[in-house]
Amino acid sequence: MPTEPITLDALGPAGEYRTKQRLRVDYLTGGTAAELSIVPKVYVSRAMAALHKATSLPEQERLAALAKAGEIFVNETIAGLSFSEYEHTVTRTSGVPISVVRQATAAIAESAASVADTAPLARPQGAVGSWRDSRTRGGRAIWTRRGDVFAVHAAGNHPGPHSLWLEALALGYRVAIRPSRREPFTPHRLVTALRAAGFGNDQVVLLPTEYDAADEILRRADLGMVYGGDDVVRKYGGDTTILPQGPGRSKILVTADSDWRQHLDTIVDSISDQGGVACINATAVLVEGDPAPLAEALAERLAAIPSLPVDDERAILSAHPPSTAQAMQEYLAAQARESTAWLGGEGIVEHLDDGTAVLRPAVHQLDRADAPQAGIELPFPCVWVAPWNRQDGTAPLRESLVLTAITGDDQLVDELVAEPTVSNVYLGDYPTHWIRPGIPHDSYLGEFLMRTKAVARA
Amino acid sequence: MSLSPPVLDLPFDTVPDSGEFLSAAMRWHFSPETGSAFWLRKLDELDFDPITEIRDTEDLTKFPDVSSELRDVRVEELIPRGYGNRPDVVGVYESGGTTGAPKRIVLLRDWLDRLLGWSSAQLDAHGVPHGLNWLCVTPTGPHMIGDVIKHQTAYRGGHTFTLDLDSRWVKRLIGDGRAAEADAYAEHIVDQVRHALRTQDIGVLMITPPMLERLARDDELVDLVNHKVRAINWAGTQMDPDTRHLYRTEIFPRTILYSGFGSTMILGNASERPGLSDEDPCVYDPFAPYMSFRVIDPDTGKPVGYGERGQVVMSHVSKSLLLPNILERDLATRIEPPRGTDSDSVADIAPVQQFDNEGVIEGVY
Repeated sequence: MPTEPITLDALGPAGEYRTKQRLRVDYLTGGTAAELSIVPKVYVSRAMAALHKATSLPEQERLAALAKAGEIFVNETIAGLSFSEYEHTVTRTSGVPISVVRQATAAIAESAASVADTAPLARPQGAVGSWRDSRTRGGRAIWTRRGDVFAVHAAGNHPGPHSLWLEALALGYRVAIRPSRREPFTPHRLVTALRAAGFGNDQVVLLPTEYDAADEILRRADLGMVYGGDDVVRKYGGDTTILPQGPGRSKILVTADSDWRQHLDTIVDSISDQGGVACINATAVLVEGDPAPLAEALAERLAAIPSLPVDDERAILSAHPPSTAQAMQEYLAAQARESTAWLGGEGIVEHLDDGTAVLRPAVHQLDRADAPQAGIELPFPCVWVAPWNRQDGTAPLRESLVLTAITGDDQLVDELVAEPTVSNVYLGDYPTHWIRPGIPHDSYLGEFLMRTKAVARA
Repeated sequence: MSLSPPVLDLPFDTVPDSGEFLSAAMRWHFSPETGSAFWLRKLDELDFDPITEIRDTEDLTKFPDVSSELRDVRVEELIPRGYGNRPDVVGVYESGGTTGAPKRIVLLRDWLDRLLGWSSAQLDAHGVPHGLNWLCVTPTGPHMIGDVIKHQTAYRGGHTFTLDLDSRWVKRLIGDGRAAEADAYAEHIVDQVRHALRTQDIGVLMITPPMLERLARDDELVDLVNHKVRAINWAGTQMDPDTRHLYRTEIFPRTILYSGFGSTMILGNASERPGLSDEDPCVYDPFAPYMSFRVIDPDTGKPVGYGERGQVVMSHVSKSLLLPNILERDLATRIEPPRGTDSDSVADIAPVQQFDNEGVIEGVY
């Protein structure tokens, strides 16, 4: 690992750009990993204008460049970091365990390699890809962009979401990324790789900014995607040009016709895989019948997870600055008052020798399916176990990014699939965090980025 | 018939001895024949004798910060009696009104003349030519800045173009979360700027940083400025060093960028130090001893060291007005003043900034 802090420049329309104002990105164990250039608002405005003026690469060229970028991302030294050093830097700054970072970076590389095949999957079957297609003779729908410039306010909890916006590049958008202060390494590496693979400086940019200039990126884009909490969903919920990515509140339902003991691995995995930091980790488990035995079994299994430094290959739990971990513990304790703690009731913070604190799993039992705690999603393995019965129906299962249903009741599955606020329905032993290229994560991004348009010609 | 000692009536470019000047000013403001009703009334509340105990600008810290009383006091009571029954009043002006009701001050002719002489010399030092027309994209109405620029343009030759800019309404819109309306209002100002720049020979653009940002993202306006405007005089709020660098090197590379840092409460502004390079912090030197700055630790009230950050305290002492020891909300770096100046200089005036709303812990992003 480099001993001196590396320099992460903004990646603007005229190339790398270094500012006087820098943001330090520190290791959780102390010391500075990087200095990130923070660009002022006027730079953002002009960069966005440059994206609008630019033209995109032709389709075949950009798809080839995306595939090549995935290889560069994995193989080259970028900003002074080899791929492995980059992964360790992400782990040691963001606190996401190394094995989780590796899965995420593999997903990014896989997305770059496969996006040429997966991006068109969102195209309605009535539409063709280009007006030049002979099927537009006599009239046909074509699939076309809703705009030219796409902006992303990126997440910092996990590198994985960066695999998603590559789809916008594949579809011909110019893209601006505002990195998170917690984890600017992944988007910096990815944008650098994309440029090395053939994308122009004015086709994909990285714009680290202060809070007050961040909105300028969205305002100057045709379409945008923003990661955040309920506040972000509220702020942008009414704006048809912004796609908010809020809390996942993923859930598991086990009905009485199924024995949860046969599916315990799936349930435990859904809660703790990825260190519990993702929106696709299960926040609540609802079980038809007495929830206590399941809560007890989950507590036993999750209690066995070791507390390890995040760069240990076997680490599962994410690390945090002690003060952040403490605040999280207090928040959980306040929210959990009306529940029964099976695990974590005595506290969830464990201090490690390296000066970091891990958040240990928590299992709480609620007395009814619609208890408000079931919607509290926290970035560690924290699960709420609640009873569910037929009278409760689908209401407590709403607002779920992923719902894994362990049930033999097809009529109930019909209802869950029909529920508009459930994004993904998995049946049986598919953990909530199961995700594959080509399978929508929260609808296809293409549904937001594209529209159909009629073209008729002789 | 003049009651005032000559040291209070010096031309702008004759720097008085600070001690002699302050003593004379205190005698003027606290003598029953010459002082204002406001300060003569205040005299009883002071726990020191200003006439004998104010010897340098450091001593001005003995005064309480009376600026909040300027919200209510009748302006007649602010004019020193020594100006007689027909004082030459240029105007009554108000502070921004960001926090609470605005504060009022009175601008008298002799101070304006001295200020114009000094300001004009500062413009000369920055290479801003005489005889240019100025376009003022600054708050109008009760605000001092636009009015003073009219006098300054007349002094240097040239015409002044103004437009309507109600800064309080913009602040109100932003405070109420009506960002779209604030944006529409700002674009309405930009339209007025565009019309003036298209049709008139605008040689100097006086503008606030937020409005300059709006100009900078419009290609036509950037071209017009680069074709016509010889100097951009920005003032009113802060500009970060990266933005300043972009203007100087990429956006307006042939235009002189010059700034002032001021307050209605000191009846003017400090001036950007000439000859600063791109790597230097943006340093402001006040028109001392009439205006003086101190940079203090807000917790202790003690001055911070040179190069350290602190809160700015401003004072104004002239024949026309005494307004000492006003605590401003700006943070600045304390800079060593030019030789012989009884005041701090300041640099890198900035508000506190945030990268993210980090308070929220629910959710995973």
